[in-house]
Amino acid sequence: MTAATLLEPKDEPDIGKLGMWVFLASEVLFFGGLFLAYLYGRTHWPLGWAAASRHTDVVLGTVNTALLLTSSAVVALAVACEEDARQRRWTARLLALTAALGAVFLVIKGFEWHAEWDEHLFPGPSFALDVAGAQEFFVLYFVMTGLHAVHMIVGVGALAILARGRSRDREWARSGHLEVAALYWHFVDVVWIFLYPLLYLVQRHG
Amino acid sequence: MADESTFARTARRLGVAWCALLALMLSSLGSAYLKLGPWNLISGLVIAAIKATIVAWLFMRLRESGPLIRLVAVVGLGVWCILIGLSGVDYETRSLTPSAVQRPQQLLSPQAASQPH
Repeated sequence: MTAATLLEPKDEPDIGKLGMWVFLASEVLFFGGLFLAYLYGRTHWPLGWAAASRHTDVVLGTVNTALLLTSSAVVALAVACEEDARQRRWTARLLALTAALGAVFLVIKGFEWHAEWDEHLFPGPSFALDVAGAQEFFVLYFVMTGLHAVHMIVGVGALAILARGRSRDREWARSGHLEVAALYWHFVDVVWIFLYPLLYLVQRHG
Repeated sequence: MADESTFARTARRLGVAWCALLALMLSSLGSAYLKLGPWNLISGLVIAAIKATIVAWLFMRLRESGPLIRLVAVVGLGVWCILIGLSGVDYETRSLTPSAVQRPQQLLSPQAASQPH
């Protein structure tokens, strides 16, 4: 089946959107390997995984999840505002708000990492937990949240630049580019949606 | 150009989706404090999948997208499912066989390795 047969005449292929979706599909495989490693560890060292997860900060993790879900809704609203001439004055402000929420997320994450470093939860010779598998959990924890944070930094930067460009009415900060950047931001949100229960909520009742 | 009612409808839909996402997040948090055994993992993943579907369908606009974009979105997920399935067949049917560079503790069986030292 060719691309032409999948498209209605009214659906002109939006190359920017399509390109971002192809990129996001490759990102699914990028993060996918880490999720496989996670499932292997959790099924082979369930006790170590549960013990290690209880040392993550569930309050900060939940606050960050709420922040990211909210930022996703805000950027979706920004795209909707851009498409309506009467609401367009809100676009730049909503984009800036999204970037700010992302920045707050990163600051909170930084505090979390700092506390975990102080508690000797960073994998290494002085690792604090003496349960098989706990160190492997924290290897994955830092790799997954670190990679996610790199994606967040890119997203915050892109949205901040677009907010500035949109407030100055620049041509490159118009609807098409906004939607592509928003797609990327939503994907970063979706990755965190899965990281939250897998890293923070393994077995809180123990 | 979208008229006022179209925008208002979109904004209301986004607001409802946001509330649903926060409610699902809290239900996921609550379920982690219940003794559900393996269902803790399953419930966490099912709730996450529902949240991801809401984000993809409404925020990422798969609801309004043409078949080509929907196909690309599904292919990424489908290929990952195939790869994780094939990898699972390998990893789940072999005992732990560490390489020469791994620590002696990792020669323990999964059951023994799960016990505190």
